[in-house]
Amino acid sequence: MLKVKKARYHGIKLPELSIGLDYSNADVQHIFVSHAHADHIPRNRTSLREHTNLAIYATPPTAALMRLRGFKEDIIELPFFEPLTTDHFTMTLYPAGHILGSAMAFIESGVGNILYTGDCKTPASPATEGFELPKDRQVDQLIIEATFGLPIYRWKSNEELQSDLVSFARQALDEGYTPIFLGYNLGKAQEMMHMLRELPETKQIHGGGYPLCAVYEKYGIDLGPYERYNRASSEGCLLFTPNSGLESGFASHIKKKRIAYCSGWASHEARRTQTQAHALIPLSDHLDYFELINLCEHLQPKRTYITHTPDPKVVLHELQQRGLDAVYLDMMHEELD
Amino acid sequence: MHNKQEAADNFELWARLVQNIAETRGSNAKVELCANYFAHLAPSEVSLACQFMGEGAFSTISGKRASVGARTIGVAAADYCGIDYDIVFKACRTANGSSTETIQRLFENLPEARQKNTLQHWNLARISELAEELAQTRGRKDKQRILTRVWGGLSPLATKYFLRLLSQGSLRIGFERRSVLQALARSSQVDYEQLRYAHMLTGSLAKTAELACTNRLDQAQFKLFNPIAFMLAAPLHSRSVEHWHDFIAEEKFDGMRCQLHAHGPKVELFSRDLNAITNQFPELVELFGKKEFPPTVIDGEICVYRDQTIQPFQELQKRMGVKKPSKTLLREYPVVFIGYDLLYLNQKETVSQSLTQRRISLENIAKTYKFPISTQHSVDSKDQVDQLFEQALAHGNEGLMLKEKEAPYSFGERNNHWLKVKRPSGSIDTVILYAQAGSGKRGGSYSDFTLGVSVKEDPRYEEEFIPIGKAYGGYTDQEWKELNKAIKGCIIDRFGPTAQLRPEIVVELEFEAIQPNPRTKAKYTLRFPRFKAIRWDLSPQDVDSLDHVEMLFNEHQSKERSPQKSSQSFLIPD
Repeated sequence: MLKVKKARYHGIKLPELSIGLDYSNADVQHIFVSHAHADHIPRNRTSLREHTNLAIYATPPTAALMRLRGFKEDIIELPFFEPLTTDHFTMTLYPAGHILGSAMAFIESGVGNILYTGDCKTPASPATEGFELPKDRQVDQLIIEATFGLPIYRWKSNEELQSDLVSFARQALDEGYTPIFLGYNLGKAQEMMHMLRELPETKQIHGGGYPLCAVYEKYGIDLGPYERYNRASSEGCLLFTPNSGLESGFASHIKKKRIAYCSGWASHEARRTQTQAHALIPLSDHLDYFELINLCEHLQPKRTYITHTPDPKVVLHELQQRGLDAVYLDMMHEELD
Repeated sequence: MHNKQEAADNFELWARLVQNIAETRGSNAKVELCANYFAHLAPSEVSLACQFMGEGAFSTISGKRASVGARTIGVAAADYCGIDYDIVFKACRTANGSSTETIQRLFENLPEARQKNTLQHWNLARISELAEELAQTRGRKDKQRILTRVWGGLSPLATKYFLRLLSQGSLRIGFERRSVLQALARSSQVDYEQLRYAHMLTGSLAKTAELACTNRLDQAQFKLFNPIAFMLAAPLHSRSVEHWHDFIAEEKFDGMRCQLHAHGPKVELFSRDLNAITNQFPELVELFGKKEFPPTVIDGEICVYRDQTIQPFQELQKRMGVKKPSKTLLREYPVVFIGYDLLYLNQKETVSQSLTQRRISLENIAKTYKFPISTQHSVDSKDQVDQLFEQALAHGNEGLMLKEKEAPYSFGERNNHWLKVKRPSGSIDTVILYAQAGSGKRGGSYSDFTLGVSVKEDPRYEEEFIPIGKAYGGYTDQEWKELNKAIKGCIIDRFGPTAQLRPEIVVELEFEAIQPNPRTKAKYTLRFPRFKAIRWDLSPQDVDSLDHVEMLFNEHQSKERSPQKSSQSFLIPD
């Protein structure tokens, strides 16, 4: 088995192969970026730049999104399913279903293989390349995120969620209200635009998310008619903004508006008062608890590493009950060795 | 054929309405939904629906409780859906913040719970019986058996609200008693004020609904020896008073609110939660019984009164809850009842009169029957209020009450007709030792904090800091966000929902009182601790020591209290 090291806020390291996974330190030769959300992009850029021997890999859509979000270092674009072979390992990327370009890395070496999921979702978000696992391979080690790793989380199907979004928008518009969808600028916004593509009304998206939409369209995701948020013409459109937008004046001039908070966290009633939303739509880009357990059970890895989870005991307990060896990689803490 | 599923008084329908109200923004829209629902019910059904909405499984005046603890419910729920209570259930509750919502989600999601479920379509009356059964049953195991039976017949949504009913508290849907009455007024087409009046007299939503639905509101009658809801005071924010001369001031006693009913030799005392406390204060019963009052209801305060001085609340606590107190207790902690409002006199309620009118009657009756009443001061400026406030504190009282002269007695309501002016008893600089994910509005983020004082130089302790109290509030939303950000950098260990922090973040903690508590490490606890300010400017070196807390406590205990000789807090007419 390969050594797996957590490096506090800096991501995960496979020291024997000199690979960093969503990693921010320059003490490795290879860094894999699973997707373009800020907490997965290498942050320690000065030290990266000085380290000439370092290669940063991402899928072409992820690389495009990273550049649009200001990442200036060189990225080696590695398309899905195309193995990259070095002296010590072969790495193949598989679609993770989380946002456009999101990938899982399957790394094979002389001492076994490892599947690193990054953030993932199956069934896949409809605004992604889908979700696919390495075929005919026994996974030795699985590193998987468990953001929603508690049995209080079980998502509705994509179809049901789409119909919730459409009826929320339709009803608001028909009653003379402007619908506002709260969600991240990258991923959630485009996923919702895609699900609402058939509505004839124009979609206006927050300036932070607008330039990213072109990448989605380039890779064949239909977003319907949309434009950059424009205060003057926004009333009566479908509006998309992150929560923080509302605090800084987004749509503050529109009196008749209805707000939908769209996130896995929307499954908590408390978010109703916290976000001042009219509707909570639990649309998540992550696995729910049951999908997570099923995926692990399907893969039957020799060892499973859990990351990003509200209380690791719960998933570990369930996996261990099912006879799977599982440990927690606490990303918040330095390893004591 | 009668379709059981669609009966209007189906509890599932009630639960869906409640959820619908929770999801609706704007109180008018909420009231409208509820009124439409009531319109489809028979009168007896409206009664129960109202009671469930505004009071709980039992009517408030019944004083009944289901008496099922959170742990009893949690353990039974974990068992019901086949999960481990300590490992899985607690983690879920911590993440969600609400125990009842957690149970709803688990019952929806887990196959084991779903398999046990067969919808029974119970009506409201049946739910009331089941709650009654729970109240009658003793022993945790037996209560859990009943709970399991109820859950098997309810949807997860209805289960959530059934559990909230059992706590006799709020359903937490932004729809309180007043809204229930507004909906009732709308659906039964009666005047809201008339309804509110009937509610005050009956003290019961169910009874009020029954009268409203059968056009008998005029029968709502006040009955002596049945308590009516107290009028409550709102805290004074300096901006909220424009015309000081509209108010009078009274000292706010550091005692226990009490409603005294008297007629001839008979006397009954009721506490703020409308429970009879008559047998706890036999000396008052004797004193007022001897005076042979006409039918009278007086609102006032019980305080320990010795050496012509009002004693601290801590002394009154020795008497609270003690039925048939011993002679020693009566001698050591003698009490006085100080009247400050009159609600009923000679077969006539006086609550709709203005305070000024009520006060005239109160003064007259106090003169005739010789019992203490509060001293009233007219006020016309902020300066004068400040001066009276200092005087009240000098008497050992909590602060001042400002009461609007023209206002009626708004029973059961907390509004700006009565304002309380209080000064926190003190504040200390503490450091955050633990953060815990909270519940309710702030569910899912760190919102409960354990604060510590310094014992670095204290030979009694090995540690640097020890806990002195836990605070849940007092911070703004913005501070709460900053706090959560700062905490992430200080976590050194986790125990389930609790994070242990490096002592770095200094908080100025405000509290009402310091109480000795031998069961805690510090041997003291704080009453009502809350954030006054996050002191980003201070470091852990600046945190107050336990010695300092002890000193504050001793100071308070031995504080000189002015005796009631000159400038009195209350008057005994001669």
